[in-house]
Amino acid sequence: MHKPYIQRQRADWWLRNPAYRRYMLREATALPLFLYTLLLMSGLFQFTRGEAAFLQWLEMLRSPWLLALHGLALAAALFHAVTWIALVPKILVIDTDRLRVSPAAVKLAHQVGAVVCNAGLLLLAVLLLRAAAGN
Amino acid sequence: MTETVTVRVQRYRPEEDTAPWEQSFEVPYSEDLSILDALNQIKDQQDPTLSHRWSCRMAICGSCGVMVNNEPKLSCKTFLRDYREQAAVTVRALDNFPIERDLVSDISGFIDHLETVQPWLIRSEEQPVSAGAYPQTPEQMQRYAAFSQCINCGLCYAACPQFGRDPAFLGPGALALAQRYNLDSRDEGAAQRMQWLNAGEGVWSCTFVGYCSEVCPKDVDPAAAINRGKVASDINYAVNLLNILRGKDDA
Ligand code: SF4
Ligand code: FES
Repeated sequence: MHKPYIQRQRADWWLRNPAYRRYMLREATALPLFLYTLLLMSGLFQFTRGEAAFLQWLEMLRSPWLLALHGLALAAALFHAVTWIALVPKILVIDTDRLRVSPAAVKLAHQVGAVVCNAGLLLLAVLLLRAAAGN
Repeated sequence: MTETVTVRVQRYRPEEDTAPWEQSFEVPYSEDLSILDALNQIKDQQDPTLSHRWSCRMAICGSCGVMVNNEPKLSCKTFLRDYREQAAVTVRALDNFPIERDLVSDISGFIDHLETVQPWLIRSEEQPVSAGAYPQTPEQMQRYAAFSQCINCGLCYAACPQFGRDPAFLGPGALALAQRYNLDSRDEGAAQRMQWLNAGEGVWSCTFVGYCSEVCPKDVDPAAAINRGKVASDINYAVNLLNILRGKDDA
């Protein structure tokens, strides 16, 4: 007799195994970043409405909730970046007869790149702030 | 008195049952008892109607895959001693596959996917046998060696929520096998296999959960294989786009 039992994926599959929970946590890092993007866009919108509106928006950023969102978004971005860079050497394998780059070097290049980009942004922000204060 | 362990085994008898259920057995414990030994003990001494698959008893044939406490495992390579802390050990048929009977899964969907990716050496021009073997250096072999260790056990498919959601997804084992041939210096079939990598059921259905690589008993690392396939698929896309822009595409 052939009557196979078809197993259906449960809606809560991602809660049932620590590996799936880790995966979902990583996927969930998109949520605070999404909220952060909305916040930035609302700032841009207030900017188009004039100085008073923008200053009010800046003032609003001081609320503890929004400070917490900033902290959360930063933590999420860092977590995502660190776990991503850890995986890169497995995926970006440069190993041909002509060219060979060790996995450690691939990882280091990504780490250096991330640090340089972030430090560059920070430097740019500081320079802009200085220029604004000088005016 | 000999110490015993409670093993809860999933049963499904298509003649009588509409859904799987669980049956408890007491198995005499010993340090070197594998889950497979426990299942054989049950079948030989307690209930001859229990159905489960096995052959080699040494992690080579790939036929003894089951869920042990909700993790995909080879029952011959998993030992009761590692579950001493837990009150009981639960053994179920592999997730994501139809259950034929008790612990026996129908993994034909996976086997079909293996064939889809044309897992053999493809040559643009076949050389005659008299010409001898296609030579390969040890370095060239090393590039695909890990991906060639697969024993078709299907554990990675039981671990893959994307395959669970959509059985048409070619899945970790088959896509790792495609990569195994694409990386082989003797093979010239990467362009032919690209259609399977690029397909909706190909590498882009993978969201890099990564659990397949954790459960693989042969350290094949199918997640890495699939995601290297994404890089190859990207490059293929860019090259095609460039050719179209230069008016060189005849597709
Ligand atoms: S890749 Fe690993 S887990 Fe998947 S079928 Fe092959 S040996 Fe089994
Ligand atoms: S019995 Fe062959 S792999 Fe377990």
